[in-house]
Amino acid sequence: MSIETLFATLEQAAEKPLESARAWKQAHGTRVVGSFPMHFPGELAHAAGALPVILQENHDPITVGHGMIYPFYCGYTRSVVDQVCKGDYDFLDAIMFGDHCVQVLGAADVVRAKLPGTRVHFYQLISSMSDPWSLGRARETFLNLKEGLEEMIGHTIDDEAIRASIKLFNRNRQLLRELYDLRRSGAAHISAKQMQLAVKSSMVMDKAAHNALLETLIGEIEARAATAPAGVRLYLSGHFCQAPKVGVLDMIESCGAIVVDDDLYHGQRFISTDVEEAGDPLDALAGWYLQRNLKVPCPTRVDQNADWDGYLLDAMKRSNAQGMVVLMAKFCEPHMYYYPLIKKAFEQRNVPHLLIETEHELTALEGLRTRVETFVEVVKRRSSTRRAAA
Amino acid sequence: MSIIIEPFAAPQKKANRLKTSSLNNKLVNSYWSDVFGAREQGRKVCWYEGVAINPLMQAADMAWVHGEAWSALLAARNGEASSQAAAENGAYMKELCSYARTSIGCSLVANNRSGEASGASFSDALNTGTLAENCPAPDMLISAYPYCSTGQQWDEALFRLFGKKVPIFNISVPWVWGNKKDAVYLGGSEFKEATAYMVRQLKECIKFIEEQTGKPYNWDRLYEIMAYTKKAGQLRMEAMELCRVKPAPASFFDWTTSLAPVNFVPGGPEIVDYFEQVKAEIQERIALGVGAVPNEKYRLFWDGIMNWNKIGWLANKFAGWDASMVAGRYTHMGFWHEYESINAKDPLEGMAINYLVCPINLSAPLMIEEIIKLCRYYEIDGVVLHAARTCRAFSNPQYLIAEAVGKRLGLPVAMFEGDMVDESFYKDEIVNSRVEAMLEAIESRKRMRAA
Ligand code: SF4
Ligand code: SF4
Repeated sequence: MSIETLFATLEQAAEKPLESARAWKQAHGTRVVGSFPMHFPGELAHAAGALPVILQENHDPITVGHGMIYPFYCGYTRSVVDQVCKGDYDFLDAIMFGDHCVQVLGAADVVRAKLPGTRVHFYQLISSMSDPWSLGRARETFLNLKEGLEEMIGHTIDDEAIRASIKLFNRNRQLLRELYDLRRSGAAHISAKQMQLAVKSSMVMDKAAHNALLETLIGEIEARAATAPAGVRLYLSGHFCQAPKVGVLDMIESCGAIVVDDDLYHGQRFISTDVEEAGDPLDALAGWYLQRNLKVPCPTRVDQNADWDGYLLDAMKRSNAQGMVVLMAKFCEPHMYYYPLIKKAFEQRNVPHLLIETEHELTALEGLRTRVETFVEVVKRRSSTRRAAA
Repeated sequence: MSIIIEPFAAPQKKANRLKTSSLNNKLVNSYWSDVFGAREQGRKVCWYEGVAINPLMQAADMAWVHGEAWSALLAARNGEASSQAAAENGAYMKELCSYARTSIGCSLVANNRSGEASGASFSDALNTGTLAENCPAPDMLISAYPYCSTGQQWDEALFRLFGKKVPIFNISVPWVWGNKKDAVYLGGSEFKEATAYMVRQLKECIKFIEEQTGKPYNWDRLYEIMAYTKKAGQLRMEAMELCRVKPAPASFFDWTTSLAPVNFVPGGPEIVDYFEQVKAEIQERIALGVGAVPNEKYRLFWDGIMNWNKIGWLANKFAGWDASMVAGRYTHMGFWHEYESINAKDPLEGMAINYLVCPINLSAPLMIEEIIKLCRYYEIDGVVLHAARTCRAFSNPQYLIAEAVGKRLGLPVAMFEGDMVDESFYKDEIVNSRVEAMLEAIESRKRMRAA
């Protein structure tokens, strides 16, 4: 399979996640368990023999959803409400989730009300990460989730099954990180859009099938000699539950820039941390949950041991990026709380960054283009002044 | 010359506010005067957000600044602008919780004074219009936010803005969602577990307080405080329940101005006395047939948080429509309303229960049942839903509430946007047209019934 065909397959799943999950269900007779982003492990649902699918924002205009959620909510929650009102989630066997961003909770209540016959369960993950009981509480939550899944399937899930799922999911994260390494080092030219497709498809596809595709893809990429792409090296940050619109990513890269790294949820944030494969699997998942936030700090958690602003400055250095584009989903409160710290830290170090607010409705792309072009020029100028000074 | 037409302008009538409200002002002023002077007396100051954990601090002889109460106070006294501007200059965006923005603005200002105590007295700050500039800086932070992630992040923002130097304690309040079939209001295995988890955390919080004050915790004092708190909670609920009569002697707007004594004013004989007087005034009004509005024609329910810049304005506005706002989620479903669950000799569990069932922490099905009970009890004709633009916690279930009261009780609703302390989200013309449409629907329902 060519690289292009492989990406086309990933795109099919990433852009039509519910269709792809429904087809999988029909073909394999497995249950499908939906979840909301961003910290909920799919491993347990997989160990229960189900296909875990992270519910995505879609591209359809919000119509019936308007009657169930105010317009001053992030695109993700509005889109979820719209999808459930349109009956898109009817085929799911369960929805299980654990994050408690206040906006997603609003959507969750609507989802449960619209799906009276579906198991819509909430297992609240502790979001205060550095308390002495954070680890224990996370484990208790995963135990409750496991019990909820067992109730659904009618039998227990043994530790071996969970360990096997953990292994499979770790492999998936490792393969995706390999793609990142290839891009960061310049050994391969992988566009921001392609990277998103690779990660987003992992959120909705069967992991074994996804691993097989990734292995072939990496083989093909390594076999093809790549010329290091030219352009201003940019780092993309932010955008949580929802994937940035592909149109925005393409636009950024068409302004003389290449994206070399990111901390997007539909990116590095999702794949940053593996789960311990030996020992008690619930301990391992609880440990993973806390470590993950130290690897890539998340503004939806509170963690006295993690600093997102400092992390970003270091990450930019590691990936040799010259500027950062902050993608913020409009109305995303966690992001709004932390952005001022980032802005201050970046200004103090004189590292250029550009804030772009995005909306569910993709409008004003041309206006954005002008801002990105100007930003790219600024970054170029600053980089050459720095070089001259060095 | 332009002609301004006001087709929906409400006739000029005034709400008949409770006289005892002025006592509330006294309590509030004396409380804040005490907080402003606390550091000079060698007492620690804690900033906290969320549920009313102040009894825990009072028993340790600390002073406390409840972020929401402080922001509401600034708004009610027209003093919020400077701190909101400071937050905006610090890149905190307008779509963020306006309570948080106001409080963050105060922290930025306090930082400019290097975190020193305000240096001003409360009355001086009040008289010179510099309350926001003079909020006493914290020695510690406690976050105890139910349901709303924004609350916890607000505290974390403060922690970082104070350079991570002010110790912080987080209480994680579980949302009462109900996975299990036995889940009911105040009951079921999950609720029990959540209560136990809360009690564990309250105990840890007390240890934190001991560490910060360097003194052993005064449990006897806590029992005493909680006995007063329980009594005040009971009197308030009884007084509110008396308002079932027609005309209702007090309104939601009166109850919002009566929240301080069950929210942050120290627990003691004063708060009990206050609600005794309120209850007596209600009884007196009932005897005389006096209503909260001069001519009660409609009985309404307020869903959502209060619009603090607009209390008086809204009270008069609805009086102008002959509409009495008899009850509300905010006032009637929180603030020690489950006082019966408090055992003053062993209060942590009862406190935890009250925190868990506060007006935002119930998932929609449980919350809706409670709202329906209230609408029936108070014989409500229509529901006003105030969609606080920057408080999604309160706005979240409102479409489901509107749908349920419409389907199950046949009540018309009026939804409009506003905010807790950011005036700019409130649009008077929209409020007028939505409320008028609802009142029209109530009228036609009455006509249909009569026919
Ligand atoms: S974290 Fe941001 S994007 Fe995710 S649900 Fe909350 S507001 Fe929306
Ligand atoms: S959004 Fe509402 S509930 Fe949340 S912190 Fe602000 S005022 Fe509190």
